[in-house]
Amino acid sequence: MRGIVKLFPGVRALDGVDLEVRAGEVHCLLGQNGAGKSTLIKTLAGAHQPDAGEIIWQGERVSLSSPVAALKRGIATMYQELDLIPTLSVAENIFLGHERARYGFTRPAAARAEASALLERLGHAEISPDTEVGKLSAAGQQLVSMARALAHDAQLIVADEPTAALASDEVDNLFRIIEELTAEGVAVVYISHRMEEIRRIGHRVTVIKDGRTVAANLDARETPGNELVDLMAGRKVQAAFREGGEGSAEFGDEMLVVEGLTRAGEFRDVSFTVRAGEIVGLAGLVGAGRSEVLETIFGARRPDAGTVVVGGKKLRPGSVSSAVRAGVGLAPEERKSQALLLDMSVAHNATLASLPGYSTLGFSQRARELRDATATLERLDLRPADPRRPAGTLSGGNQQKVVLARWLVRGCRVLLLDEPTRGVDVGARAELYRLIHELAASGVAIVLVSSEIPEVLGLADRVLVLREGDVLANRPAGELSEADVLDMVMEGSAA
Amino acid sequence: MTQVHPAPAPPTPRREHTQVSRKSWSKRFFGRPEVGSLMGAVAIFVMFYAIADPFRTPGAQSTVLYASSTIGIVTVGVCLLMIGGEFDLSAGVGVTTSALAASMFAFQLSLNVWVGVVFALLVSLGIGLFNGFVLTRTKLPSFLVTLATFLMLQGLNLAMTKLVTGNVATNSISDMDGFDSAKAIFASSVQIGSVSVKITVFWWLLFVAVATWVLLRTKVGNWIFAVGGKADSARAVGVPVNRTKIGLFMTVGFTAWFAGMHKLFAFNTVQSGEGVGQELIFIAAAVVGGCLLTGGYGSAIGAAIGAFIFGMTGQGIVFANWNPDWYMFFVGITLLVATLLNLWVRNRAARR
Repeated sequence: MRGIVKLFPGVRALDGVDLEVRAGEVHCLLGQNGAGKSTLIKTLAGAHQPDAGEIIWQGERVSLSSPVAALKRGIATMYQELDLIPTLSVAENIFLGHERARYGFTRPAAARAEASALLERLGHAEISPDTEVGKLSAAGQQLVSMARALAHDAQLIVADEPTAALASDEVDNLFRIIEELTAEGVAVVYISHRMEEIRRIGHRVTVIKDGRTVAANLDARETPGNELVDLMAGRKVQAAFREGGEGSAEFGDEMLVVEGLTRAGEFRDVSFTVRAGEIVGLAGLVGAGRSEVLETIFGARRPDAGTVVVGGKKLRPGSVSSAVRAGVGLAPEERKSQALLLDMSVAHNATLASLPGYSTLGFSQRARELRDATATLERLDLRPADPRRPAGTLSGGNQQKVVLARWLVRGCRVLLLDEPTRGVDVGARAELYRLIHELAASGVAIVLVSSEIPEVLGLADRVLVLREGDVLANRPAGELSEADVLDMVMEGSAA
Repeated sequence: MTQVHPAPAPPTPRREHTQVSRKSWSKRFFGRPEVGSLMGAVAIFVMFYAIADPFRTPGAQSTVLYASSTIGIVTVGVCLLMIGGEFDLSAGVGVTTSALAASMFAFQLSLNVWVGVVFALLVSLGIGLFNGFVLTRTKLPSFLVTLATFLMLQGLNLAMTKLVTGNVATNSISDMDGFDSAKAIFASSVQIGSVSVKITVFWWLLFVAVATWVLLRTKVGNWIFAVGGKADSARAVGVPVNRTKIGLFMTVGFTAWFAGMHKLFAFNTVQSGEGVGQELIFIAAAVVGGCLLTGGYGSAIGAAIGAFIFGMTGQGIVFANWNPDWYMFFVGITLLVATLLNLWVRNRAARR
């Protein structure tokens, strides 16, 4: 039996974590954002040095002083933010750092051949080793990352949320590969927020919280989901979604009216209405046109046809400032790249959209800005509750809260949420759901896009199902079951 | 699916799932970084060929190549550095520093000039090491680090020269030991048929060839692209990022040294104030040749073509009897047009 035991008390990020992985198993590592998972896997990858504790690898005590040292021992890591160089080719990426070279000269032909063999083993022989990695899809890049781990002859592969960017058929393929690898005796440490994935491929589960292991050696298939969630959260989490009552009577006036919105090649003839206090969900696969619809409503894309009316006033097509002035806010899918200024403080990020309101004769009123931001963030229960912290240091769920706070400070009437819970752990998810409901209850009209069908059905009052740019259904959420939506969504992709 | 839908438009998947493995010849050609500059070079060549009679003689072409080589040698280093994600503002005055160091060291101590040449090499590599070391240690942007070096060297050049020689230029070293052999290496001419070609042209071509080989066929070449493309990712897979960057700054130092030696042995004496502004010409040549300012992309051949464009423009203006005062204006236009051309070519290549 090969195994790793890691103990390190010391720094607060990791306060004595134990992790023991056996050869040939898929070991799931669970924990909320900020629990120390990333630090742990970075230590395993050799990027961080433990201040105390020890790493035992295949029976002997080792020190992983650098990423290279870890790789040499057969520990390969697939980071969440893929560690590939977009401008290099597939083959160059796979062998970067351990080039196939003789006398210092690379042998591109050999590297290409080996890369092809690896990709074929992964079931994707159609990816050319000469392709620039930046031109591959997220799934393709994931495969390259996987091929790189294989090229190192890895005995242990650490996969940090490998499915976050994948469509469902690609997830199946990934799981097939993982199963093949474990059958060969490779150990996999698997990090994911999706419980059903852990059930599908996991063998054992370790749960960490606040830098400590709170539970280990749990059976991935048998352990009840709520038990895991409770362990992660360290408290009981209430049911995430509002219970039953879809009394559509209480909604206010029509706040957002979208009429015949069309963009060639992206979506066609999208029409729907959102009333004040109502949540409308857009369901569909990645690439079905959901995000594009949101961005078009927001004015970031120019529609080929159709109109957007907010509060009775028609928006100028393709004008973000017109949309923002009318009270529309967008929380985009890519929080980090599209929404937040990561180096600026939380308070600044929160007031960014309302700066004109905070300036007198061109000078910004810092004190008032900070006060309003603090009040809003308190309402959102931001943790840590320090508005002066740089936004980049927060966990995913709290970053999302900052984005929401931005539109709350501005007092917007229509809120467009694109995958608000992506990369957010279960505990924080429940809080976000509560917030979204609160917002709706205060009279905001909300449009929600999510890849997770239960989330759309649970949160929204009315659901639109999109497939390849067509609206297939527009019905109250109560009339649709998960199976119905899945059916509609998948039909196109099966063809 | 066999169901008949009312004429759905063909689905356009947002993300390509697979890539076509065989690319057409034209796509490969247009995907190269140097294409834009090559088109520009041809266009400028044709223009001068058409309007300036003297430009058509082999002698004029030799002069153009010579002018290009004096820019091009340092551009090789600057281009490699730029692919590695950094740039060096001190390269221009670094050339003068090197020449001054060799000249004054040998002259004042009455040594063989070769001793001065080696001393200058150490100085130039030392400047590169300093730049690279400060950059990797402090994580300051290269603009700031090398701007500081640039200003320091500019002051040092003038102050040291005045201190040592009492003048703003160095004494002539043409009658010193080893001058002739050094001149043969750094500043002689080679007769090819009826045309005399300066030796720097051959050195330039050699450096470009070596740089191209390194970039495309060695580990280090991969590393250069990797640290320029995404340094953190490169570090995570075990690329020695800091060593690569320091090595690149030292490479710029080496090319600056070589250009400095040429200057010294071609003119026997060095003006201490020279070289200011040249650093931007080197950077411009690399950019015209397809290097991205953001790093991770570019080619040494492209940078050579960029240097050729500037060499050709400088000489072409003279041959066409235009006022040479306009030289910088044309350099600016060339830079802008070439950069746009590169962008356009790259987008087209990506779209096809």
